[in-house]
Amino acid sequence: MISKLVKLILWMIMCALPLAFADTLRAQVAGSTISGTITDASGTVVQLATIKVKNTVTGQTIQAQSDSKGNYGVQNLVPGDYEVSVSAAGFTPKTAKITLSQGVGQILNMSLSKLGVNPNEPSLSDLGFPPSETKGSVQEQARLDKRSHMLKIHQRLGLITTAPLVATVITGTFAGGRSTSSTDRNVHMALGSVTAGLYFTSATYAIFAPKIPGIQARGPIRLHKTLAWIHGAGMILSPALGAMAYEQRSRGERIHGIAGAHSAVGIVTAAAYGAAILSVSVKF
Amino acid sequence: MKVRALAVFLAGFSPALPLLAGADNQWILEQSTLTWHASHPLHQSEGVSHAARGKGVCHAGQCEFLIAVPVKSFDSGDTNRDLHMIQAARGAEFPMAVVRTRLPEDALSSTSIHADLEIQFAGQTVQYKQVPLHLSMQGKEVRLSGSIPATLSDFKIEPPTLLMIPVKNEIPIHVEMTWQENSGTGASTSK
Repeated sequence: MISKLVKLILWMIMCALPLAFADTLRAQVAGSTISGTITDASGTVVQLATIKVKNTVTGQTIQAQSDSKGNYGVQNLVPGDYEVSVSAAGFTPKTAKITLSQGVGQILNMSLSKLGVNPNEPSLSDLGFPPSETKGSVQEQARLDKRSHMLKIHQRLGLITTAPLVATVITGTFAGGRSTSSTDRNVHMALGSVTAGLYFTSATYAIFAPKIPGIQARGPIRLHKTLAWIHGAGMILSPALGAMAYEQRSRGERIHGIAGAHSAVGIVTAAAYGAAILSVSVKF
Repeated sequence: MKVRALAVFLAGFSPALPLLAGADNQWILEQSTLTWHASHPLHQSEGVSHAARGKGVCHAGQCEFLIAVPVKSFDSGDTNRDLHMIQAARGAEFPMAVVRTRLPEDALSSTSIHADLEIQFAGQTVQYKQVPLHLSMQGKEVRLSGSIPATLSDFKIEPPTLLMIPVKNEIPIHVEMTWQENSGTGASTSK
């Protein structure tokens, strides 16, 4: 009795299985896709174009729209022959025929012509530009975007650095005098440390921003980069000399030896830094 | 006698034959200077390009003009600024700025015209209506100058910043061009 019941349940499960996976099976059969990009004659993307995909046997039509990048996609199509028609405001509609195989994604890019134009209207290809000049590159654009993003951070951090740098120079006049206190020296040292931290963070963004091949720095940016060699070296040298001067003053000694150059190096560094900012800010 | 009369008639009528046959006149852009102007509270800057190429085809009294210029050909004298402008204008992705306009053929002999310009730039297409242009004709050459009142927002370009201050939205583009007429079909199409 129990074995009959088990057999009955198994039989019911076997019968129900195809029903349970019916959608999946249908999807596997109807899994073909058409996708592509809609552009105009110059290669500029056409957004909000209407794409109608019509099965030439069944007459069933599926509609899609191109996105902001001109891309469209229609999925779950039964294999067979299709007619793809594209229309967009201001453009002559265009139709293409395509055969879809089972489970295969077909790419169909379509280029639209402007409505009501002279058939003799010149096109970009008439002008004789080399393809390397007219073909866009998403990768190159991404590199430029990253470069600009990093340089923007460099610029902001660089401007922020100006505040502790000026404060460091001002407090330096108190820290280095004959009657200085340890507080004066500590404040000067703390401000110098903040300045150096911000400075090197900002510099890192400029140094590691992607380089654009074939571009030689020209114009004010060249002076900006040249000045970086001066304030960059100063930003390394100045804290080292400052640490030596700090030690000497803390021992009650007069600042002597190369530590005596700390003040001059600091001022030259700050001046070069200011000039670097001005070089790209003000037109001389 | 009849043959001679026909020959004389055809010879006298021959200057009008291209017109009757609908033959095209072509215009080729010989020289150009395109200049964008950007304003910032700290200074003004401008980028110049001489790399534009253009062609005009006249048919049935209407001329279709196409002018294209590589975005990266503009030189402001500062490579960093130029790269930033190319980035902001998505010049690597859309490397050409393209201008189209349609003019009546007889407008080319005027001293000033108002042209409707369609400009494709930075992945956007923008129409500028009734842009005033000045023309001067010398032989088979037409010199054209004018200013296109472009703005950054027209092309959905985020204004570049300097010291965290953005440049002004207006970036007028000054245009100076010399066009050479090239009558008849089969004219040279590239420079």
